[in-house]
Amino acid sequence: MTAFVELDHSGPSATDGEIAAINLESARRGAWARFARDARLPGAAEAIVDQERLAAQFLGDLDSLDRLEGLATQFARVDDSSRAALVEAEVASAVHRFDDARSHLARAAHMGGLRDTIERHLLTIDQASGVKLDAVLAARRRIATASGQHEDLVPLAALLADLERFAEADAVYQQAFYSYDDVSPFPLAWVCFQLGMLWGELVPVPDPHLAALWYRRAIAYLPGYVKARVHLAEIYTSQKQNGDAELLLLPALSSRDPEVRWRLADVLIAQERFEEAETQLATARLGFDELLERHLLAFADHAAEFYAASGNDYRRALELALANVANRPTRRAIKQAHAIALNVTPSV
Amino acid sequence: MSDHVDGPRSIGDPPADLTDLFAFTSPENPAHTVLAACVFPSAGEDAIFSNIIDYSIAVRRVTVAGVGNAAKFEPAGEEVRFSFRFETLKRDAAGKVIQRGICKLPGDRELSLTVNNEKGSWMPEGDVRVFAGLRSDPFYLAWNAAELKKLPNLLQHTNVLCIVVEFDTLRVLDPMKGSLFGAIAETVPPQQRSLIAPPVPRIDWIGRPEQTNIRLNNPALSGIDDLRDLWNQQMPFAIPKELQPLFLKRLKGSFADWDMRDGKADWTPEALEANAKVFLDDFLLFDVTKPITDQSHLEIEKSTLNGRPYQTGGGRTVDANCIDILLTWLVNRDREFLQGGATGATKPGMKIFPYFATPNAELQTVADSVELAAAPDEVWSLIGQFGGAWHPLTAKVSLTGTGIGQLRTIQTLDGQEIVERLEAIDDAKRFFRYTNVAGMAVSHYTGTLEVKPKSSGCVADWRAQFLAVNKTDRAVKVMVSTLFKTGLESLKLRFGVAK
Repeated sequence: MTAFVELDHSGPSATDGEIAAINLESARRGAWARFARDARLPGAAEAIVDQERLAAQFLGDLDSLDRLEGLATQFARVDDSSRAALVEAEVASAVHRFDDARSHLARAAHMGGLRDTIERHLLTIDQASGVKLDAVLAARRRIATASGQHEDLVPLAALLADLERFAEADAVYQQAFYSYDDVSPFPLAWVCFQLGMLWGELVPVPDPHLAALWYRRAIAYLPGYVKARVHLAEIYTSQKQNGDAELLLLPALSSRDPEVRWRLADVLIAQERFEEAETQLATARLGFDELLERHLLAFADHAAEFYAASGNDYRRALELALANVANRPTRRAIKQAHAIALNVTPSV
Repeated sequence: MSDHVDGPRSIGDPPADLTDLFAFTSPENPAHTVLAACVFPSAGEDAIFSNIIDYSIAVRRVTVAGVGNAAKFEPAGEEVRFSFRFETLKRDAAGKVIQRGICKLPGDRELSLTVNNEKGSWMPEGDVRVFAGLRSDPFYLAWNAAELKKLPNLLQHTNVLCIVVEFDTLRVLDPMKGSLFGAIAETVPPQQRSLIAPPVPRIDWIGRPEQTNIRLNNPALSGIDDLRDLWNQQMPFAIPKELQPLFLKRLKGSFADWDMRDGKADWTPEALEANAKVFLDDFLLFDVTKPITDQSHLEIEKSTLNGRPYQTGGGRTVDANCIDILLTWLVNRDREFLQGGATGATKPGMKIFPYFATPNAELQTVADSVELAAAPDEVWSLIGQFGGAWHPLTAKVSLTGTGIGQLRTIQTLDGQEIVERLEAIDDAKRFFRYTNVAGMAVSHYTGTLEVKPKSSGCVADWRAQFLAVNKTDRAVKVMVSTLFKTGLESLKLRFGVAK
């Protein structure tokens, strides 16, 4: 995919996004080959976890999650150390099975896994599932202050955003963005995307222009960033820039992320191309159903959003939103369930 | 591993992660010197260089400023630098992705190049030639360094991205002024990038192999801070005085540990300190007037520490067994050569430019396993026999020879004949490894069969890697995975499935 906009010069420079995506895929395959040769090679399984998560998060390669679950199973069969338990925890966390992840971490601790690693992972799970947030915030602040590193600032900013302290979140995200001193574009694209979300969806009065600016930056860093394309397309559609939205989405169709089809359907509907839209919607519905069958908790919130909108099935949406709340009772999850519930008929 | 994956910063963008540095006399032309550096550990077939990193190899003249326990190599301030920069990707007329770059040479000269062009690019004057592209990883590590236990090559069948520069030694290095040199390679990000924090001077650098992963971050030392990123941030040839005690202390601790790995003290405290000080000045020493061979790596340092003039050009050739040379020196001060579990890299170096072997094709992998409700030994007694005919698709198995190297000829129910060779077996660990000799549309086929305890039962794990020959990857994978699945399913019937 080519960048939709040129990267402006006000942010840190990074390796070209097309090169980085090719090299991620190259490294990912290399890591699997090493794992296949000897599953217990130091760092091999852990490298796969990192690379598959990047592929899922940025390139919309949702098969990554299946591969990760296969990895955890295979690794646990051949490795009886805390390494396997930690990998299982990472994978469970990646598909939002947070209770399972906690059990694996407890097992890793029992087997002598590194305390720091386990505690950091528990912090991430607590944050993602919206529990003990005061303690998480204190720990995040402590870690970010001590290191000042990008990788510690971003989760602090994300937590502040979850806690609806938007101005503070924006400041920390910007600090993370402008203090970045490495060359990989993935972390930069991630911050830009988060800032797009912050200004486009989280704040009480969204600023679509500012959100679009950050999404465009994310795509400039990483042209293959599927979610950034989807969110920017959504803004363009709302502003009746349907041609631009379509141009953004078409290159992302190969990702198999059903959200691409869904947003494309919305664009097609806005252009009164109803037959094409129906095809895209049917494919999106099928895609969501397949994902939910394999990884219900990982996709419950996204699918709920789909069914509450173009998917046109509020009951299904509410079921999914409630499943998400049960798994991770964050403010956003509760808000989503509440909003959907308001639209469901009283008989539900 | 040499310098592979040597710190969190370099892991973030693998084309910035330097793996190795080489300095040797050109096999094609003895009047030429070759300098080369590799990046991107375990690179796949499509790996490419970053477009914003400056990939440099720098050389400084060095003098011997002390010998014996006062051994010291003093680098000059002036340096000769070769800097490679690469562009974003372009498409050729056929739509194929290509990457171009330039190499900045001493004397403000530049040389354009195309990545993966094996012939490289020549300066019109004919004194410099450069190459950049994917090659077979020349490094091999065949030790579990934490336990000093022999292993097969951990980097078998992997690739790296290489930059190679070959030049006329007399014209570029002017050895009349001194023939001993130190080389380093570094990956440098764009400067003045961060608007808040100071710029990062470099992502990674390398002098002698294994400064970071074996000497500074000795895997046997527990509870130590990881100094690799701090080391990688320092200026090559000029480690700041205030940080030298920190790194020296770590090197001495690490070397003391290496010395006792065989239970014998071969280093006096004074000699050990002198050795640590020599390695603290981390650059790859080579002398262009003396022979650089596969065995000469570290000879300059070792002879100087031993109080005698060096005899070779040191350096590092593509095929130098640098890990075993280093470990032998650290563990027993060359009393007895320590040979790891492999004697060479996946492919040896070439005698023609660019000297690094062609890249390895990506091996296809098939892996399957089954959890069984039986004791591991019970299952192994059946499937651990190399000549056993337990597989339901097997009609007959005949053996030729005994032990390692033994051949088994398998006649399948559909009349095919497959010949396989036993490469390794460990009944205590219930494991064997074999290769295919004939009868399958593959090359480089290596299979492993293993039984591991799991809860009250066991897991039988069967895996293979190979290159398909005369058939598509997919066709051969289907064939091999069917073979595995049929065999493993038959074990379920025989032993029961673990609950």
